[in-house]
Amino acid sequence: MASTEDKVVAKQENATTWKDSFYNPRTGEFMGRTASSWALILLFYLVFYAFLAGMFALTMWVMLMTLDDNVPKYQDRVPYPGLAIQPNSLDIIYNKSEPLKYAPYVQKLESFLLSYNDTEQEKNEECTRGEYFLQDDAEDMEKKACRFKRGFLSLCSGLSDTNFGYSEGKPCILLKLNRIIGLKPRGDPYITCAVKKDEPIQMQYFPREGSIDKMYFPYYGKKAHETYVQPLVAVKLLLTKEDYNKELAIECKVEGSDLRNNDERDKFLGRVTFRIKVEA
Amino acid sequence: MARKNCLVKNLEAVETLGSTSTICSDKTGTLTQNRMTVAHMWFDNTIHEADTTEDQSGSSFDKSSATWVSLARIAALCNRAVFKAAQDTLPILKRGVAGDASESALLKCIELSCGSVKAMREKNKKVAEIPFNSTNKYQLSIHETEEGNENSYLLVMKGAPERILDRSSHIMVQGKEQPMDEEMKEAFQNAYQELGGLGERVLGFCHVFLPEDKYPKGFAFDTDEVNFETDNLCFVGLMSMIDPPRAAVPDAVGKCRSAGIKVIMVTGDHPITAKAIAKGVGIISEGNETVEDIAARLNIPVSQVNPRDAKACVIHGTDLKDLSQDQMDDILRNHTEIVFARTSPQQKLIIVEGCQRLGAIVAVTGDGVNDSPALKKADIGVAMGISGSDVSKQAADMILLDDNFASIVTGVEEGRLIFDNLKKSIAYTLTSNIPEITPFLFFILFNIPLPLGTITILCIDLGTDMVPAISLAYEAAESDIMKRQPRNPLRDKLVNERLISIAYGQIGMIQALGGFFAYFVVLAENGFRPYDLVGIRLNWDDRSNNDLEDSYGQQWTYEQRKIVEFTCHTAFFVSIVVVQWADVIICKTRRNSVFQQGMRNKILIFGLFEETALAALLSYCPGMDVALRMYPLKPSWWFCAFPYSFLIFVYDEIRKLILRRNPGGWVERETYY
Repeated sequence: MASTEDKVVAKQENATTWKDSFYNPRTGEFMGRTASSWALILLFYLVFYAFLAGMFALTMWVMLMTLDDNVPKYQDRVPYPGLAIQPNSLDIIYNKSEPLKYAPYVQKLESFLLSYNDTEQEKNEECTRGEYFLQDDAEDMEKKACRFKRGFLSLCSGLSDTNFGYSEGKPCILLKLNRIIGLKPRGDPYITCAVKKDEPIQMQYFPREGSIDKMYFPYYGKKAHETYVQPLVAVKLLLTKEDYNKELAIECKVEGSDLRNNDERDKFLGRVTFRIKVEA
Repeated sequence: MARKNCLVKNLEAVETLGSTSTICSDKTGTLTQNRMTVAHMWFDNTIHEADTTEDQSGSSFDKSSATWVSLARIAALCNRAVFKAAQDTLPILKRGVAGDASESALLKCIELSCGSVKAMREKNKKVAEIPFNSTNKYQLSIHETEEGNENSYLLVMKGAPERILDRSSHIMVQGKEQPMDEEMKEAFQNAYQELGGLGERVLGFCHVFLPEDKYPKGFAFDTDEVNFETDNLCFVGLMSMIDPPRAAVPDAVGKCRSAGIKVIMVTGDHPITAKAIAKGVGIISEGNETVEDIAARLNIPVSQVNPRDAKACVIHGTDLKDLSQDQMDDILRNHTEIVFARTSPQQKLIIVEGCQRLGAIVAVTGDGVNDSPALKKADIGVAMGISGSDVSKQAADMILLDDNFASIVTGVEEGRLIFDNLKKSIAYTLTSNIPEITPFLFFILFNIPLPLGTITILCIDLGTDMVPAISLAYEAAESDIMKRQPRNPLRDKLVNERLISIAYGQIGMIQALGGFFAYFVVLAENGFRPYDLVGIRLNWDDRSNNDLEDSYGQQWTYEQRKIVEFTCHTAFFVSIVVVQWADVIICKTRRNSVFQQGMRNKILIFGLFEETALAALLSYCPGMDVALRMYPLKPSWWFCAFPYSFLIFVYDEIRKLILRRNPGGWVERETYY
């Protein structure tokens, strides 16, 4: 009899509760490990991860060493430029009698055109029109940029009309081709816009015929061509009373050169579609 | 398994077999060949040796004694074995016999020494018989005879020697019947001990001529009610047979021992025979003694021997009946080599339960109908394929098609191998989880463009990783598989913290770094340097942003940069394939070096080529860009993950080297899964 009682008592003493799996006071184990065991395993992982971080840093450094400062290694994914608009919203909706509504668009245009101010453009060169401005022989030297003065956009420059035509219901939209290093479009590129579905509306292009001069190409990259500015084309939508309160879908394309503008998958390659609705 | 003569009835049994820690084996037919040959005879107070050579070249014994004639007659008549038909041209020892092993041995022996048994049986027709049963341990038959007293019946009986002796009041010496006295009984015991001590199965033979007055011709002998005398018979002699152990058994028992498996013999046979066979096959190893052996050696009574000194013990079935559960547990715990002799089938069940109480995983072999409870109770029941009854085969989980004990060892090895390979396969598959998850985590935490997309994750889990993971199931056993202790089913889990630590914490992390390196390389070489990627996520994923600037000042449309992103996914995917090459090679072994194990797993090699070919196909096949949005990679991008793959291989080889050199050390405790 005594032996069975002893066994019961011994069992109670040795029984482990679920709490012991967190902290076991008898063995000093926390979550199943003693303090020194924790210290060893954490030390191991510290050293291990430090080594891995070092190896990763080394391989990254080796890779970055192989990169050129001015030109990316591969450009096969950007053979043709996209077309983008300013103000950079694809849905432009405002009421021409409410300044607050069109103020954001006007502000965006204004801040975008700051770098095109005459004061900034004085630093750039007056280039020969109709020709690429090649600077390949000037290696390791800062490349020079061609001038594009704000004035080239005349009515849409924001100089004469600070509201860019938004207040009178004839808004200006700026269009620009994406920058691509080394791109030299052939032919005579120009931008043309058209209303997608309904009757056409009158538009005015600045500079004349919406042309993009070849002298602004090629682009030599951010580092070498610091002062570069992209050529812009402004289109002023001459909306009439019938065109107000209607949502117009307008598509602008770059034509007249070898730049692609009809890619099936990329709808922004050489073209851009945006919607505009002016409420009166 | 079937090719190795092990028919598995349910597959989980193989895994259980791998964790077996005790095997309770039957003796006759499992450990031995069950091909009895008569080796010795005892009659006229002398042991005679029989000729056991195949071609009768040995010396024959003296057959002149009349006792021999009676003995031969009993052996021939009290026997249900017959030669199979149409074998007259074959030498006697090679003929096929229909009947059990002992009776076949007797038949062949008598045929060899006395001539046609068939003729003998025809002269003495059988009128009644009581077949052998395991409770009585004898069989008898009654025959018509013309010899001696004309037209009386001859009752011949054979069976366990002590039972035959109990029923004998007389003994035949030189053909004459004499009353049994103490001297004769002692001579009998000595002969029995000596023959049994040689490991032979001893059978006793006796007869009696039934007096004609009590049993006239035509007497109706009733074998159910037993209306005739079965006592006061005349003891004639003993014949002993050897049932040699199977050739492969000593080796198999040795392997079990080094694998940490205890082998217990459980037999209905005599303790001395059982002990001799146990010594012969290695169940009782050299130098281990039972308490009786120690007592005999030191010339002291058995009670004075310290039980702790004896590692081996032989337990008689009658003693087993009197043992309490605690005493049984004591015996099982304190002895490493145990033989249970003269056990009844019910006792087999008790032994199995006793072992299981001590926490062992028990495998039991059996062939008889009354072995079924023990077979069912055992964690894995093994039935004999040839000599087993249908009931035992039904109750068992595994059937030995050739009745060979060595096949159980094969089963154990296979079971352990399955468990090991399962661990390897799981470790391999789990490892790739880290390089699959970390891209999304970093995408969220650091706002970088998504490094690995859903389709590419699926390509890994359902495409390239399938064949290598399955190929690990075909991996050969590592050299130490049968030298380890059996698996403790409570503590040794399939997936343990060490496996997770290695897969997720170590190898998985290296793999993730390889993938990220490829990701950064692709983006940087296309114009997006790593520093400029952090925080770019919202703009990158904005469909309306079509003039996103890269590190060189170029501007990208949404579609253009998404193509680069998908190229990154493809490169990350290919990097995972590359690091998984190294992973599958290191997962081949848990302890051995790959150079020791070899690359003989052809399916694994096929898997390596197949996953690479699949990766190349997914990247370069025209139409993949539209279907799965996976893009062709520049050749240099395939090599981005190579240094990390190499690191995985070198790291794990060094870890396993340290593990082998420092068994029981910190590295083994923390990383040996």
